[in-house]
Amino acid sequence: MWSALDKMPAPATTYERIVYRNPSEHHYMKVCLEFEDHGVGLNVAQFKQLLISALKDLFGEVAAALPLDVLTYEEKTLSAILRICSSGLVKLWSSLTLLGSYKGKKCAFRVIQVSPFLLALSGNSRELVLD
Amino acid sequence: MVRFKHRYLLCEVVSDDPRCRLSLEDRALGGLIRDTIARVHGTFGAASCSIGFAVRYLNAYTGIVLLRCRKEFYQLVCSALPFITYLENKGHRYPCFLNTLHVGGTIRTCQKFLIRYNRRQLLILLQNCTDEGEREAIQKSVTKSCLLEERSDEEELSDSGGEEAAEAME
Repeated sequence: MWSALDKMPAPATTYERIVYRNPSEHHYMKVCLEFEDHGVGLNVAQFKQLLISALKDLFGEVAAALPLDVLTYEEKTLSAILRICSSGLVKLWSSLTLLGSYKGKKCAFRVIQVSPFLLALSGNSRELVLD
Repeated sequence: MVRFKHRYLLCEVVSDDPRCRLSLEDRALGGLIRDTIARVHGTFGAASCSIGFAVRYLNAYTGIVLLRCRKEFYQLVCSALPFITYLENKGHRYPCFLNTLHVGGTIRTCQKFLIRYNRRQLLILLQNCTDEGEREAIQKSVTKSCLLEERSDEEELSDSGGEEAAEAME
């Protein structure tokens, strides 16, 4: 049996492995802000102020200075697409998780999608409606 | 292998005002550093750094401070020290800054560094001093410290042994 294994022919195809290590500088998050009572509105400046104050509470001045951008914002649904540098993703996500209130009103951030590529946020298989 | 490891930060308080060093107190300084860490690194920084934090040694005459913090979070403490710009005592504010001289794993290594640093500082003071009386006083302390150094080297030689003695002599 051992001799048969030794005499096996070498494989015809050679494999080539390409590893794409993505040092993507930014991560993109699709988030939605939910309030306990409906009827609370925020404009985009107040929304960004809320994000920065959440970061500042938990991680201090250093995290509040992270380059955070609000790429799109919808005032009706209070949903937004955020961009943050990859080293600050954990800090931003954890401070969004621990944010409890805005001006005394209870609220919560729902994180819908996170991806290092902006294109991935255009389609979400969770929101697919199958007939 | 299962002990808590610490980092000891040896810092010097540098200030224009001579009253600033005399008003150094370990509790006040510890509280000031904790507040600064809370401001710079938030709730997370304040909580993680204050568990193992202590002011271990304070010398009001030379302005030397030895801080202790946990090894995992010593970088948070180190990065918050430049944000300290003043010391407050009884309503007076003295502008100052903390200069980090040495980071060590044990108090003994920091002490060894401090002894060598103080000897170098004495020689620098000797070069810069102007008054004759001061010059004599500093020369006396320099010779005293040299004698102490020789004595401590001899003790180390007798403890360690022949080969190490030859290396130490060189």
